[in-house]
Amino acid sequence: QVSELVQFLLVKDQKKIPIKRADMLKNVIREYKDAYSEIVNKAGRTLQEVFGLQLVEIDTKRHAYILINNLPRAEGEYLCRGKEKEKMGLLLVILSFIFMKGNSVKDSALWEFLHLLRVDPGKQHSVFGDVRKLVTEEFVRQKYLEITPIPLTDPPEFKYQWGPRAEKETSKKDVLNFVAKIQGKDPTFWASQYAEAEAN
Amino acid sequence: ENREAMLNSKSNRLTEALEEANRLFDGVCRAREAALDAQFLVIASNIGKEKANELHSEMSAFDSTAFAEDLLTFMGINRTEVEETDDSEDVPGGFLPSDAWQTVGGEAPKYFRRAPTFHYMMGSFKSEPPVPKQRIERQKKASRGKAERAMPAQLKKMEESHQEATEKEVERILRILQTHFENDPNTPISFFDFVIDPNSFARTVENVFHVSFLTRDGLAQIKLDEDELPIIEPIKPSEGGVEDSRAGARNQVVISLDQTQWK
Repeated sequence: QVSELVQFLLVKDQKKIPIKRADMLKNVIREYKDAYSEIVNKAGRTLQEVFGLQLVEIDTKRHAYILINNLPRAEGEYLCRGKEKEKMGLLLVILSFIFMKGNSVKDSALWEFLHLLRVDPGKQHSVFGDVRKLVTEEFVRQKYLEITPIPLTDPPEFKYQWGPRAEKETSKKDVLNFVAKIQGKDPTFWASQYAEAEAN
Repeated sequence: ENREAMLNSKSNRLTEALEEANRLFDGVCRAREAALDAQFLVIASNIGKEKANELHSEMSAFDSTAFAEDLLTFMGINRTEVEETDDSEDVPGGFLPSDAWQTVGGEAPKYFRRAPTFHYMMGSFKSEPPVPKQRIERQKKASRGKAERAMPAQLKKMEESHQEATEKEVERILRILQTHFENDPNTPISFFDFVIDPNSFARTVENVFHVSFLTRDGLAQIKLDEDELPIIEPIKPSEGGVEDSRAGARNQVVISLDQTQWK
């Protein structure tokens, strides 16, 4: 049962959409509902010991899980399929922008910024295609970004923040280091952001 | 209106707008104008709140424009060539190579603890079906051949059994005939008495059929008696053989018997 769950989780993680407990119960655990927590714990241990992956519950209310990499980052080329790498690049840029701007930005501010990088919501992008869909749907479903409407705004506006997966897979410190590298400055240049990243 | 302009921390436009609103309010005497004034205050306070937020995050003055330009540099933008686009006015000029985002993408995984996507090494199952299909086809052909072969064999068996059955019947009838003659050697049996089954026409026909075998094989003979009614008597083997070779006489007799006659 445990190995079945491990396989199930590995396959389900392909799309990077959080895995719901209900799905696990229906497809793998079925009759063994009572042993659910035991099976999940053992699966988590297997994932850690065999694959170096950590099973993290990101939604304690609705019981959803993601897999993150627990191994120290290896040097060298990463094997990625399709547009995975480029999407990660765009995501990193967006997460950096959000953090440096105080952990929350308005949609108009974000798109204004992306426009400078030749990425526009209305136009088909040569690499990303429908960028608006990628950012507002795919990244949100994968829990990398969280979009919430701003109350009392007409026309409705939204604020963008880091999603729970982003919180687990990266850190403010990592992101600050990225910005520092790009801008050729020391992370301490941005004092308050640096302090916040260190405190995290 | 001019929301972004007002948000700019360096501008005092919000303050100016508030001051103007104050002045205007003195001249207000109708309810509608007062309502407009109230609306204005709501919007102004929202803007004020946003400005306060911006103040907090801009404590270390993160310049997003500079960040964007540095990113473009990182992505390998060629600023000497000017790209001909419609909105080339507000976007920093330069030619962005097609692998721009791949460059960033190469850097990105270092900052994430992303679980590698799990894929089966050997790919999906697609490659398998054709092979079993061929095997199945070959097997089918092979088994069909066997089946066909089995069939004729079976048929032969049936035919044989038929023949056996016939032969057995013929033998039986012969024995009956012989037994009868043993008991009463000089009285030949009326053919019809012999073959007719009072209860079954079909049986009668069968009996005639079997008797014909006997005559064909020379084991019995049918003669006509004084009344020109056929009689049947067995032939002793020695007699029959001799007679046949000498006379070579073989007569064909057609006896018709239908149900009404039989009755």
